[in-house]
Amino acid sequence: MLRYLEDDGEDGVASNMSSIHYHDVIIIGGGLTGLRAALQVSDSGLNGAVVSKVHPLRSHSVAAQGGMNASLGNVPDDDGNSDSWEMHAYDTVKGSDYLADQDAVEHMCREATATVYELEHMGTVWSRLENGKIAQRPFGGAGFPRTCYAADRTGHNALHTLYEQVLDRNIPVYEEFFVTSLVKDSGRCIGCTAIEIMTGKIHGFISKVVLMATGGFGRIFNRSTNALINTGDGQALALDLGVPLKDMEFVQFHPTTLYRTNILMSEGARGEGGILINSRGERFMKRYAPNSMDLAPRDVVARSIEQEIRDGRGYDGGYIHLDLTHLGADRIKERLPGIRQIAMDFAGVDPINDPVPVQPGQHYSMGGIDVDINGCTILPGLYAAGECACISIHGANRLGGNSLLETVVYGRLVADKIINDIKEISEPDSLPMKSAVKAVESKIEEILGRREGASIFKVKENMAEIMFQKFGIFRDGKIMEEGLKEIKRMQKNLSHLTPNNKNLELNQTLIQLLELEGMLKIAEVVAYGAIRREESRGSHTRIDYPDRDDDNYLKHTLAVLKDGNIDLSNKSVTLGMFEPKERVY
Amino acid sequence: MKLKVYRYYEGIEKPRYDTFKLEPTQGMTVLEALFQFQQKFDDSIAFHYSCRGAVCGTCSMLINKVPRLACRTQVTSLLKGKLKIPLSPYPALEETVGWNPEEEILVEPLPHLPVIRDLIVDMSKFFDFYKYVEPVFKPGDPTPEKERHMDPAAIPELELYTNCILCGACFGSCPVDGNDPEYLGPAALAKLYRFYIDPREANGIERLKIADIPLGWWDCEFYGNCRRVCPKDVPPLIAIAKAREQLNQEREKIGDK
Repeated sequence: MLRYLEDDGEDGVASNMSSIHYHDVIIIGGGLTGLRAALQVSDSGLNGAVVSKVHPLRSHSVAAQGGMNASLGNVPDDDGNSDSWEMHAYDTVKGSDYLADQDAVEHMCREATATVYELEHMGTVWSRLENGKIAQRPFGGAGFPRTCYAADRTGHNALHTLYEQVLDRNIPVYEEFFVTSLVKDSGRCIGCTAIEIMTGKIHGFISKVVLMATGGFGRIFNRSTNALINTGDGQALALDLGVPLKDMEFVQFHPTTLYRTNILMSEGARGEGGILINSRGERFMKRYAPNSMDLAPRDVVARSIEQEIRDGRGYDGGYIHLDLTHLGADRIKERLPGIRQIAMDFAGVDPINDPVPVQPGQHYSMGGIDVDINGCTILPGLYAAGECACISIHGANRLGGNSLLETVVYGRLVADKIINDIKEISEPDSLPMKSAVKAVESKIEEILGRREGASIFKVKENMAEIMFQKFGIFRDGKIMEEGLKEIKRMQKNLSHLTPNNKNLELNQTLIQLLELEGMLKIAEVVAYGAIRREESRGSHTRIDYPDRDDDNYLKHTLAVLKDGNIDLSNKSVTLGMFEPKERVY
Repeated sequence: MKLKVYRYYEGIEKPRYDTFKLEPTQGMTVLEALFQFQQKFDDSIAFHYSCRGAVCGTCSMLINKVPRLACRTQVTSLLKGKLKIPLSPYPALEETVGWNPEEEILVEPLPHLPVIRDLIVDMSKFFDFYKYVEPVFKPGDPTPEKERHMDPAAIPELELYTNCILCGACFGSCPVDGNDPEYLGPAALAKLYRFYIDPREANGIERLKIADIPLGWWDCEFYGNCRRVCPKDVPPLIAIAKAREQLNQEREKIGDK
C-alpha cells in the first residue's frame, strides 16, 4: 500500500539510509481526524498521504464507545420538545465551565448533524429507532437525548467506515512510521521526518502543508483509559517547533474505568440507566448533583467518586460499583455488548449479574496544539485537528459524545481550509529536509551508541505515577511543585537512558525512548499550567483554590518553548451567546 | 510460571525459543507478560500492541497453539487450562516444540503469514484479501439529505459482521489457509457478506460474485476454527454457507431459463 517517491540523495546530501517523499499534504495520524481529512484532501485532487505510527485501524479512535452528539432530534425529550444546535452549544459551553471559545462551539454544533449523516452515507451502521432513524441516547451534562451511537462500539464502526473509504481511494498510508521532527524553513512548516519502524530507516516527507492529527497524551498518567500509543507525540513535536500549546492543564478523568486495568466503561452505561453505588449501598451522586445524579458531567462525577473513596466509602483497593443489573439481560446485550465483554474479560464480572468495580482514570486531553477556529497554528503550513489540537471546544471539561464529533467535523473542515490555502503555497525547498533527515540519523546513532546507562522503563513508570498522584483529580500547589521538580530531574537524566537493543530494525525500545522524551516535555507543560492556574474550573480542581475565579482566570493558558524553558502566557476566551454562570447540575 | 517466546530475525539460521521466568501479577495478561519480558529480560523483543483492551486487533498471536489477542488472554487462566479451545488441526499445530502447559506459556507469531521479527508478522496478504472483496459501502440511491432509514431488525445480523476487528486470528487458525495461502480466508469473506446483507446496498448478488471463485466462497471446508478463535464472535461459516446457497439458487434460476 505504500507508494514511495524515492529520491535517494542524488545530490549526495541525504545519506543512503534515507528516502525523501513528496506530497502536497502530509497528515500525521490515522485515526478518525486523520482519515476524514485524507478523504477530503484526496477528493479535492490534491496528493495527500497519511503517516501513522500504527496501522490506522489500531488508532485509539477505534476504542471510542458511547457515541457522537448531534441535534438530530430523532428522540423527543419527555415534554415532546425537539433538540437544536443552540441547545447542544449551551450544554457544551456550560460543560466546559465557560472556558470554551463560543464561536468554535457554535461552528461544531451547527456542523454536527451533517457529520452524523455523512458517516451514515459512507456506510456506518448506526443503531436505529423503531421508525428506522438513527438512535440517540442521553449522555452526561446534556439536556437532551442527543448522542448517536452504534451500540457501544461507535468509534470502531466509524473508524472502519473511514478506513474503507481511504482504501477505496488508494490514498497512500505510511504505516508504522514514527514521526521524529517537524521541519521548518523560511518561517513555514515544510514537512516532517520519520523513522520507518520496521527498518529503522529515516525518511523525509516534503509537503506544502502538515496536518497534525495525532490524538491525546493520556499515557503520561498511569491510570488511563487510553491506548498505550497515546503518548502525545504531536503536541511534543509542535512544542519543539516553537508552536504554543493551549490549556494543557485541563485533563479529563473519566468517572468509570474498570478497576485496575482502567479500560473504559462507557458513559453510555449510565445513559442507559446504570447507577453508581458506594460501599454502603448509597446512590451517593444525590449529594453532589441532585438533579442530574449519575449523568452529571464527567468532572463532577469523577470528583464525587474520588471523594467517596477518600472518605472511606469505597471498596478496598479504591473503587465503587457501577450497577447495571436492573437493566436486564436483553437491554445490556443489545445496547452495551462491548462493555459487558470487557467487564467479563478483564474483571471477571458479568454486568447482567453483578455490579462492575470502577474507579476514575485519565481519559482525555482538553488542551493541545493552539489553533484558531480554522485549525491553523501560528506557523504557516502547520495545522492541527482532533484531540491533539485545542480549538477550543471543550474548555475546562469535555462532554461525552463531543470528541468523536470534533474528530470528524474538524477532519473535514480543517482539510477544507488547507485545500483553500494551499493554492497560495509554493513548493518547498528540499535541502532543509535533507539536513533534517541527517540530524535525526545522527541522533539515532548517538542513542544507539550509548554504552552504559539507565533503563527507560523505570523512568516511564515513575513519570506516569507522579503525574497521576500529583496532577490527578485533586491538585494542590505544594504537591504539584514537588512533582514538577521530579519531572525536571527525569528530563535531565534523559541523555543517560540507554536501550540495550542496538538494532535499527524494529527497535521498539528506541521508539519508546523517543516517545518518552516527548512525554516528559508534555508532563512539564501540564505541570506548569496546573500550578499557575490558581482556581478550580472544570477538570482542574485545586484543593488550595476551590472556587472558579473568572476575574483572573477566564482565559486560556499558552505554553511555548523558549531557549529550552517553558514560557507561559494567556489568550482571551471568545464569549458569545452564553454568559458565564455558576455551574449547577 | 514461565513465558516461552518464539524469537526470529532475518539472518539467523532458524528460530529459537527464549524462556523467561515470569513474576505474575493479579489478572496479568500475555501482553503484560511480554512487556515484563521486554523490560526485565531482553528489550529487543518485537510485538505489536496498542489498545490493550481487545478492540484494536493488533496483538493477535499464537498462544499455547491457539491464535488469540495477547491483551485479552490472562496467564493464570491459561495455566489452569481454562482457555482450551478444541481446534481442527492445521500446519502450525504440527510444528511442535516441547513445552509444559502446566507451567509454561508458549507464545509464537500468528501462523500463515511471513514472520518479520519475533512475534510480528507481515499482514500484507491478509489486508490484500480484505481489499480484494471491495469492502466499501455502495448504495444504490442518490445520497439523501438526512439518514437512510434502516429497519432496526436488520441491525443484529449486520453487527455480527461489523464487529470484526481484523485481527487475523481466524486467518491464522484456518486449515485451508494453512494449505493454500491464496484462499481469501474467513475475515475477508465475512466482510464481503457484511456489505451484501446491508439493506442500504444496491448490488445484491453481484457483491457475492466478487468471491465466486475457487479460492473464495468455495474453498472453505467448514472446519470452524475461525469462529472458535474469534475474539468478537464473528461467524464466517454462516456467511460462507449463506453465500453459497444464494449463489447456487442464482445458478439454478439461470439454468431454468
